[in-house]
Amino acid sequence: MSELPTRVEEARQMALGYEAPPEGPSGRLWIPSGTGHRAAPVSQAFKQRLVDALLDLEPQPGARLAVLGADAGGLAARERQALRARIAFLPANGGMISNLNGWENIVLPLGYRDAKRVNAAFPKVHALIERLGGHPRALLAKLPEEMTLYEKKLAGYVRILLEAPELVVAENLAGGLEPEDRRRTAAFPAAYHAERPDGVFVQLDDAPDD
Amino acid sequence: MFAVYRELEGSTRLAAHVLRRFWVLRFPPVMEELVRQIYFTGASATATIVVRGAFIGTLIIAYVIEVLEADAALAVKMLLWVVLREVGPLIAAVLVIQRSGTAVATELALMKISGEVDSLRHLRIDPQDHLVVPRVLGIALSLAALTLYVQFIAVGGGMVLSALVIDASFSELASNFFLLASPLDLAYSIVKSLLFGGAIGVIACYYGLNPPGRSINAVPKAAINAVSQSTIAVMIINVVFAYLAYGVALFGLFTAKL
Repeated sequence: MSELPTRVEEARQMALGYEAPPEGPSGRLWIPSGTGHRAAPVSQAFKQRLVDALLDLEPQPGARLAVLGADAGGLAARERQALRARIAFLPANGGMISNLNGWENIVLPLGYRDAKRVNAAFPKVHALIERLGGHPRALLAKLPEEMTLYEKKLAGYVRILLEAPELVVAENLAGGLEPEDRRRTAAFPAAYHAERPDGVFVQLDDAPDD
Repeated sequence: MFAVYRELEGSTRLAAHVLRRFWVLRFPPVMEELVRQIYFTGASATATIVVRGAFIGTLIIAYVIEVLEADAALAVKMLLWVVLREVGPLIAAVLVIQRSGTAVATELALMKISGEVDSLRHLRIDPQDHLVVPRVLGIALSLAALTLYVQFIAVGGGMVLSALVIDASFSELASNFFLLASPLDLAYSIVKSLLFGGAIGVIACYYGLNPPGRSINAVPKAAINAVSQSTIAVMIINVVFAYLAYGVALFGLFTAKL
């Protein structure tokens, strides 16, 4: 446990490090920097704690969290906000908002952070969906309730690719998919690295005991 | 008792958030949500609300004329006092509670339970900015507009009926009405409607975002809580306004002409 600060200081070698507090489901996940990783947390409860800590960048008392080389526990609120902007999380269900169609879902974060880019993003969104095996016209017009699980994951992923942050954590990327769709998800990391060659793509699988 | 305090505090915080953050309307997704809410609460409800308003306004005048054996002057006073200032905003508020209060509480409770509120957080979007601000402002603005429709139709319907029943022409009633009414009456009912709408929106959002559980059964409970608490809030606001208008605080301001 005492190794963590040293490692953080050592380099920007670590993409994501988390050590659960002694109370509750314990575990440790250590993902060094690099272009792609696949990790299976020790338990689902541990994974949930990790995801909560990662999204808030506030490790629970007694826990340690290091992200993109920074010890999240020691950050001021403003630094935490800046670090959070460098991370994206793709939940297993794609994270769609039910009253928005595919297009509105995909450009939702851009609408808040870079509204001028929204209309200009259309050709890129179209190309990304095609590249990842989807049908752009149909997908962009569909409401989430009309989408398959793969389409939801695809729309959620394209949404992330528009901003292409430094660290992308995808939860159980191939989980619950048909074999054909599973094969399509294999192209996801490459699509990300085409946008951000130095980015880190982490697949957070379900825990083996779940 | 603690639950009441918690709900009051939560709703107050939500209202403060709306007042503090209404500038988020400059973001296109929030503006789109506002337009959707105005369309749902205001535009698509207009026909239903106006028809009910006309029936109720006409009914009130019919009773007044029958029971009090009213003349033209009293009928006009009743239209002004009862229909324009009190019943118009109240009818619109009750109909909006029934329609939009339940819809908003149900929609948000479902979004909360299905994890969509967390999805917004994952996207670094404040769920209160995206979900609460446009809904509260949309309901408040729509309710003010609906109140105007209801007042127009109810007062118009009341005058037509009065002209048919009592010995006074429509133009005589209308000229009496416009002699007695002042812009302050309109401002009074519009401000009251905006407050009604704001309260309904905040309460519906609060119960929607805080459903009593994580199962699907929590959804109707959230809607029921939203409806009952919104109705109470509207009644309280109405009493406070009536006291301010007719009581000590602003005594004489509205009644001087009458």
